[in-house]
Amino acid sequence: MSKPAKRDRRILWAASVPMMLLALSCVYPIYFAINNALKDRKGYILDRFGLVTDPSIENFVTAWSRARFDEYFFNSVTVTAGAVLALLLVSSLAGFALAVLRFPARKLIFGVILASLMIPVQVVLVPFYQTIVALELLNTRIGLILSYTAFFLPFSTYLMTAFYAALPRELVDAARVDGAKFLQVWWYVMLPMGKPALLTLGILNTLYCWNDVLISLLVLQDERTLMVGIAALRGEYTTNVPLLSAAIVLGAAPIVLLYVIFQRKIVAGIATGAVKG
Amino acid sequence: MKTKPFLLAATAIGLVGAAAQAQELTVWDWKSGDPVTADYYDSAKAAFEAANPGATVKFVVQPHDQYYTLLGTALSSGKGPDVILLHGGAQAQTRADALLPLTAMADGFSGAEGFTANGEVIALPLTIQGFAVYYNRALYEAAGLDPNKAPSNFAELSTACEAIAAKGEVPCFALGNSQGFGGEFFISQIATSTFDDADYTAWAAGELAWTDPKVRAIADQWAAAAEAGWFYEGANSIAKFMDEYEMFMRGDAAHTVGLLSDVAHWKQFEEFHGEGGVGVFAYPNSDAELARLPFAGGIGWAASNQSAHPELALSLVEILADAERQAIFAVDTGALPANLAVDTSGLSSPALAEALALMAAAPGGMPHSILAPSVLEEWKRQSQLLLNGETDVDAAIEAMEVARNAN
Repeated sequence: MSKPAKRDRRILWAASVPMMLLALSCVYPIYFAINNALKDRKGYILDRFGLVTDPSIENFVTAWSRARFDEYFFNSVTVTAGAVLALLLVSSLAGFALAVLRFPARKLIFGVILASLMIPVQVVLVPFYQTIVALELLNTRIGLILSYTAFFLPFSTYLMTAFYAALPRELVDAARVDGAKFLQVWWYVMLPMGKPALLTLGILNTLYCWNDVLISLLVLQDERTLMVGIAALRGEYTTNVPLLSAAIVLGAAPIVLLYVIFQRKIVAGIATGAVKG
Repeated sequence: MKTKPFLLAATAIGLVGAAAQAQELTVWDWKSGDPVTADYYDSAKAAFEAANPGATVKFVVQPHDQYYTLLGTALSSGKGPDVILLHGGAQAQTRADALLPLTAMADGFSGAEGFTANGEVIALPLTIQGFAVYYNRALYEAAGLDPNKAPSNFAELSTACEAIAAKGEVPCFALGNSQGFGGEFFISQIATSTFDDADYTAWAAGELAWTDPKVRAIADQWAAAAEAGWFYEGANSIAKFMDEYEMFMRGDAAHTVGLLSDVAHWKQFEEFHGEGGVGVFAYPNSDAELARLPFAGGIGWAASNQSAHPELALSLVEILADAERQAIFAVDTGALPANLAVDTSGLSSPALAEALALMAAAPGGMPHSILAPSVLEEWKRQSQLLLNGETDVDAAIEAMEVARNAN
C-alpha cells in the first residue's frame, strides 16, 4: 500500500471514531426506549440499563387502550392531515404568485414572509391565544389546523417560491400563449412541476405538526394530540418509564416510517430552498 | 321528491335539538391519563351519567408541569373546565374566586382545611398527603434489629442507624436532594412534632424566626443526621422522585421518607419487598417525646363557577369524591382516601394499617406547605450546602433569617 493511501486510511479511521460515537448517541435513546418499553415497571427499576429478559407488549396495549392513545392518535392524524393539506394548497398558490406573477410590492411581501420566519412562536403566544378565543376556535380541531397552517406557512411559502422561481419562465409563457389563465397555469403546469418540493414540504410539515406540543396544548385544551398525551404521561412526581417508552415508540413509529420511506426526498427538499430566493 | 327536503329539515331540527339537550361536562386533571386510575374514572363516569340522564362527562388529562398555567389561561378567558382537580393549600385557595362553594357537601372529609378559603370549602379532598418513614424489615433483621419494632423516638432511630451502619452494606436513609425535596420534607418531619397552633399561625405569617429553638431544630437535626452518616452520600446528586425511592425499592437503603398519597408509598414499596416487608413510622424529633405524622389534604375536586351546568358540576364533584369512588382510587393507586366513610378494612397491608394507626394516634400538620416560597427555596439551598459541608448550622440559620426578613 502506498504512503498516501495509508495516510487516507488513517484519516478515515480518525474521522470514523467520532462519527461512530455520534451515531451511537443517536441510536442509544431509540434502543433505550424500545428496550424499556418491553419491560414491566419492576423490571425497569431493578435493572434500568440491562437488556430486557422477559419481553412483553403489555405497555403498548396499556398505552393504546387504557391511556387513551387511540383517541390521541386519531386527533393527531386529523389535525396533521388537515394542516398539511391546507399548507400545501396555500403555499403552492402563494409560491406561484410570488415567483411567477408580477405585481406591486411583490418583493416586500416576500420580505415580510421571510422576516416572519425569524419570529419564534413563543413571542406571539399571547395575542395568538386571544385571537383563537375571540374567533371561537378554542378547543376545536379546525382551530388547531388553522393555527398550524398559520405558523408553518412562512417557511412553506418560502420553499415553494424558491422552487417555482428556479423553474424556466418559458413554461409559464408557453402556457399563457396557449391561452391558459393564471390558475390554469398553476394547476396544469406549476403544480405537476412542483411535485418534488410539495412532497418534501408535506413530509416536513407532517413532522412539525405531528411533533408539536406547544400549539396543541394551547388550542386543543379539551382534546389531546399524541405528543401532548405523551407529555401527560410524565406524572406529578413520578413517571412510569416503561409505559412512557411504549408511548414514545407508538408516537414516533409513523414518523420514523415516513422518514424511512421518504428520506431521500427530505434531504433533497432541504437543499431545494438553498437554490434561489 | 318532496319528502327529501322534509326529511333533511327534520333531521337538521333533530340534530339541533339533540345538541341543545346534550350536556357535556369537561373535567381537567393530571391523573386520568394514568392507566392505574382508569377504573376510578370509568366508575365515576358511569355513576354520573346514570344519575343524570342526557348528561355526559369528558375527562381531559393535562401535563402536570403545564397544568396550572393552562388552567389560568382557560379560566381567564372564560373557557375553563366545569370540574377541576386541584392541590390543597395555595393552589386551591388562590383560585377560590373561580370555584363554587362546596361547604354543604364537605362533611366527613379529612384534610378539608387545605381546601378552605374565606370560610368556604372550595374542593372536596380525594386523597391525604403526608410523609412517613418506610423501613425495610429484611435489612433490619440483617442488622440484628427487631424487624417488627419500628423506632418510636430519636434514641431508637439512632440505635437502628448505628446498627445498619455497623453492618456496612447500605445507608440508613435513601435520600434524594438534588431539587431540595429532601430538605423540604424535613421541615414538616421535624416541626410537626413540636409546633402548636400559635407556632403554625406565626410560621404562616413569617413571624416565627429561624433562631427559635423549634425552628432551629430543623437545621440542627438535618446537619446532625448528615454528620452521623445516616443519609446516602450522593444525596445532592440524585432526585427524590424517583431515584431515592427506587434505591429503597431495590433494597439499597434501609429507610426512606415516602408519601401517603398515590406515589412513593406502602403499595409501591410492598411490590418490591412483599406484603409485610415494609414497616412505617413517623420521623422522631429529638426534642419531642411523641413523633407526630405530618399530613393534610392532598388533592381534591372543585367545581368551576364558570360552568354552564353548575348543578351537574356539583353532582359530578360529589360522585368523584364519594366513598365508593375513593375506595376504588385508594385500592388501585395506594393513596390514602380523604373520605372518612371509605372502608379500608379490605386492604390487608400491614404497612397501610400502621400508617392509618399513626394518623389516628399522632396526627400532625405540614408546616412546609405554608412557608413562603422564597424562604422555602432558600432552605432547599441551605439543606444542600449543609449536606455538602459547605456551611454550618449558624450560617444556615443566618441565611434563613435574611430570607425570612426579605419576604
